[in-house]
Amino acid sequence: MMVRTHGLKKHFQDPKTGLKKAVDGIDIEAKPGRIFGLLGANGAGKTTILRMLSTVITPTSGTSEVAGFDIIKQPQEVRANIGFMSSSTALYGRLTSREVLEYFGRLYGLDEKRLKDRMKYVIDKLQIEEFADRLCDKLSTGQKQRVSIARTILHDPKVLFFDEPTAGLDVVTSQTVMEFIEEARDLGKTVVFSTHIMSEVERLCDDLAVIHDGVIVATGTPQTMREISGEQNLERAFLHLVKFQAGYVSARLGTV
Amino acid sequence: MNEVMIIVRKELREMFRDKRVRFNAFVMPLFLILMMVQLFGFVMKAAVGGTKSTVYFVDSTGGVGESLNKSAISGAVTKGGLGIKTVSSIDEGIKLIQQEKAKLVLALMPPTTDGQVRVEAYYDPKQQMGNLALSGVEQALAKANKEALVETLKEKSIPESAAERIKIIPKEVKVGQAGAGAMIVSLLPYMIVLFAFSGGMSMAADLVSGEKDKNTLETLLITPVERTHIVLGKFLSLAGVCFLSSVSCLAGMALASAIKLPGSELMFKDGFGVTPIAALTIIIVLLPLVAFFASVLIAISSYAKNPREAQTYLAIVNFIVIMPAVFSQVIGLTDLGTKLWINCVPVLNTANNIRAALLGKTDWLAVGITVGVSALLAAIAIIVAVKLFNREEVLVRV
Repeated sequence: MMVRTHGLKKHFQDPKTGLKKAVDGIDIEAKPGRIFGLLGANGAGKTTILRMLSTVITPTSGTSEVAGFDIIKQPQEVRANIGFMSSSTALYGRLTSREVLEYFGRLYGLDEKRLKDRMKYVIDKLQIEEFADRLCDKLSTGQKQRVSIARTILHDPKVLFFDEPTAGLDVVTSQTVMEFIEEARDLGKTVVFSTHIMSEVERLCDDLAVIHDGVIVATGTPQTMREISGEQNLERAFLHLVKFQAGYVSARLGTV
Repeated sequence: MNEVMIIVRKELREMFRDKRVRFNAFVMPLFLILMMVQLFGFVMKAAVGGTKSTVYFVDSTGGVGESLNKSAISGAVTKGGLGIKTVSSIDEGIKLIQQEKAKLVLALMPPTTDGQVRVEAYYDPKQQMGNLALSGVEQALAKANKEALVETLKEKSIPESAAERIKIIPKEVKVGQAGAGAMIVSLLPYMIVLFAFSGGMSMAADLVSGEKDKNTLETLLITPVERTHIVLGKFLSLAGVCFLSSVSCLAGMALASAIKLPGSELMFKDGFGVTPIAALTIIIVLLPLVAFFASVLIAISSYAKNPREAQTYLAIVNFIVIMPAVFSQVIGLTDLGTKLWINCVPVLNTANNIRAALLGKTDWLAVGITVGVSALLAAIAIIVAVKLFNREEVLVRV
């Protein structure tokens, strides 16, 4: 198992609303060569889980192993073995694409020869060469996303985390990202992917956890979700699982 | 440590590609120094009479004034480097002063019974140029009076020394190495200290809160590099820019001296005046100060939610830094500069040691205390910066 969590919790103290249980004891397992989806509405706790798994924030309690390393005891080893990307991940505007890749390659400890080889590989693979020496500020959204993907896989990580990687992207760029995620799975990488877009779940996810208010309400394959909820449409299955009540919003607005 | 240098290289590359940084950290101090040298040079020239003031003259003797007196006065005045014009009455002269068209009006009054020639001098005491013109006239007439007295004494075979029973003979005592001129000594420490902080201000907000705002911080935190190394890399690059910005002031002064900027002749009458020892002292006291400033800037940037909040805090801190730097300009009017305890006052201690170095009076004990105090503060500030950067809030605080 490449990613396994044990009762992972993250509670924040909100000055206005008091204690906020962003993640409240989740247990998930993600395997190599498969895409694990975290499906949930905005604010469900998906980003917090991925941030804990990538050791950027520390769990309130519980722990997890990522690529065989404990996220609390061996955070550096965890980070050396993961790649992380989200739609909001940005690049340094005053550096060229090539300089960004070199910078991160060195931070990931690649020696000069390996750095050169890996840079050639990702630049060719993602067709970056024509704009590799252009400042990132001058790149289109699609080009920036390709450079972001290149940065994510440059050090050839075993585990890849994607936090809503297509949010706000156009159809063509989203397609590039999804193709890349599928390719990573085919290469035997472990992919953990958060989204709230059902079509992406249908297309990409082998395994799934539905998250609502920081807790997992269901796990399994997309087909399992349909069976548990008794709904054939995945979107309806999701709404059933999170106990969404039709007319709730209109009722609150006083129009029903 | 290699990781630190990777970050330093990247940060410096980014900073030097930023127009704001190039302008604020390097062009601005050069430009300001050149401008101030010209401005102060002009003022100094005016103060010592280099700029010709015009004095208005009116004959109020009612016809009993001797033309000899008139010409003696106007002769002395013009000899003193002042121009002279006539007006018809005192009232007209006063009107000219009120309209700020005249700085000084001299009215020749009827002589006293014992033959003393009296001149009334009308001026606005709040007008510096009026005060300067009056002082110029007084000096010129004192000289003329003395010459007349000596002449009279000579006619009566009395020795010239009787005109001045006690004579002061000023003798300059050389203290320390040859140093820079007074205006440089007053101006340069302030500018050097000021730019050690404000030179780094323009990019400080970008370094942490800016990365958070632009969504690049998370990517950096996910690399296997320790957060402490990330902070150190950012700190070193910022300290480098702060230091270079400060040195730009020194370079600006050297440039102003080399190109003999019009109006700066009096300021550089003895040359640039910064000896190798002075330059070495400046660098020694400056290094821990820029380390202190850079770590404060990083700490602020790590604490702020976004660059706008960081800019607000930076503006306040900048004000706190300016205060002791401003005081360093007038410290020469007190004897505080020579007290050992002054070297324990942050920022002011550095400015004061730079001042002493420019005067050619480097005191190595004072330098040692200053370096120790600044280094201690830098160490505390960098620890705070590291702690702030290691908090989760550096990423999730919104």
